[in-house]
Amino acid sequence: MLPIARSELIQIFRNRSVLIANLLMPAAAAAFFIYSRDLLEGAGGLGYIGAVLVFTVGAFSLYATVVTVLAARRQTLFLKRLRSTAASDPAILIGLVLPVSVIAVVQVAVMLTVFAAVSGRPSDVVLLVTAIVAAFLMLLALGLATAGVTSSPEQAQVTTLPISLGAIGVASWIGIAGTADLTWLKRLVPGGSATELVIDAWNGGVPVADSLLLLGPTLGWVVVAVVLAARFFRWEPRR
Amino acid sequence: MSTNPVIDVDELNVRYGDFHAVKDLSFQVEPGELYALLGTNGAGKTSALEVIEGHREAASGTVRVFGQPPTDRGAIRPRTGIMLQESGFSDDLTVSESVRLIGRLTGRVDALDAVLKTVDLSHKTDTRVSQLSGGEKRRLDFATAVYGRPELIFLDEPTTGLDIQSRDALWDVVQQLREDGATVVLTTHYLEEAQQRADRIGLMHQGTLRQQGTVSELTRALPASIQFSLPPGTATPPMHSAPVSGNAYVVETFDMQRDLKQLLDWADDHAVELLGLSAAPTRLDDVFRAVGSEPATS
Repeated sequence: MLPIARSELIQIFRNRSVLIANLLMPAAAAAFFIYSRDLLEGAGGLGYIGAVLVFTVGAFSLYATVVTVLAARRQTLFLKRLRSTAASDPAILIGLVLPVSVIAVVQVAVMLTVFAAVSGRPSDVVLLVTAIVAAFLMLLALGLATAGVTSSPEQAQVTTLPISLGAIGVASWIGIAGTADLTWLKRLVPGGSATELVIDAWNGGVPVADSLLLLGPTLGWVVVAVVLAARFFRWEPRR
Repeated sequence: MSTNPVIDVDELNVRYGDFHAVKDLSFQVEPGELYALLGTNGAGKTSALEVIEGHREAASGTVRVFGQPPTDRGAIRPRTGIMLQESGFSDDLTVSESVRLIGRLTGRVDALDAVLKTVDLSHKTDTRVSQLSGGEKRRLDFATAVYGRPELIFLDEPTTGLDIQSRDALWDVVQQLREDGATVVLTTHYLEEAQQRADRIGLMHQGTLRQQGTVSELTRALPASIQFSLPPGTATPPMHSAPVSGNAYVVETFDMQRDLKQLLDWADDHAVELLGLSAAPTRLDDVFRAVGSEPATS
């Protein structure tokens, strides 16, 4: 697993298009959100900005990059090459997504630290970390599922749009409008309850037990995405 | 049949939906043997090979490699080198990074510099795969297959795209590995390579194994040929021969020495010059063509 992760990290840093589109652009967008925090705070509060930061990194640096990387490695038969070794399928997958995941975690940690430094600390750091882990797990699993129906890195630019834009849209919808009305709908859409969890963790004022219930729908989406990935993921290009 | 074959395929079937790609395929590969699995386009050899390599599940039948299911990668891959038909390397990794990665993942140990030297890629160690030529990529693929001197090596179209020197060098390495006891499974469209190198050959057509044996066993069933032309007005030679065009004749024979002597004696006796005389043994190409023209089986 670790040799695969190491080679994957080398490949990411040598591929400018992946580096710019999936790692630097989200960082730039997040920097913009932090810079415009006074304007955004009026729309949905600090928790909303935190949620948008989490989902911007999660949707692009993690989700879209995972789909792009897996589609590219399948198209070039690199996945088949790895499967001609002694490495197991789970070890190959973990090795491939580990560098992207670590980079996304580092990105979101740096951005939220900067955001906290200029706007104040979140109310519950542990709950915030839990929310981020749950949201990233969901986006990672959705990435594996989407990779199953994405035949090339070029196609990934299209197939990732619904979920990546949808995640940002849901975060904005819930962050700005709250969950007072259409509560269950907002909590059941992918990323909805995770967004609410981030907002609760940052703003505070909600009992932890109530917030933890929001993990249910998020982890439910993880299960759905894993089932979809098991159904659709392919190791070789369709012949 | 050996009691301990390296590869044991029994009643293997591979299906893609309604398409029956491999039908009841059975064969064994013995230790130290070079077995060539050949076939017409779409014969099913790649599908069969992918199951044997552990890349694909069989619809039915059993396959054992070193006595284990081929999907048991942890047990089999440290002992097996695979040269894929298409390279499957990352463009962004260098030659040395690619070989080292596959070497580590197979659990085999070798001297990287020495391996790259055997495939003449020493000068490309730090070159990215994207900058290699097609032939160099094939040699890189071969390097990963022989890294750590595995006991079993799959060579899928190993010399496609290689120049003659590279081909010879590749076969020299294969020969050295065989002298150390390695078993080799080869697929190729270069029949002369199979004819020269293989201990046994399996010929597939339309999903089934139509013939199997040594080159002499496979060619024994088809006649050799003697070809010549006669000057105008010459009498017909005494043995059974068929004119192919004008005064050109082909004698098909199962006893080349006897028929050739008879032809030469007749020519001497009648003072006839045999123009363009040639005598050729049955070639694998002829067997291959005969198999390829066989009708489909149900």
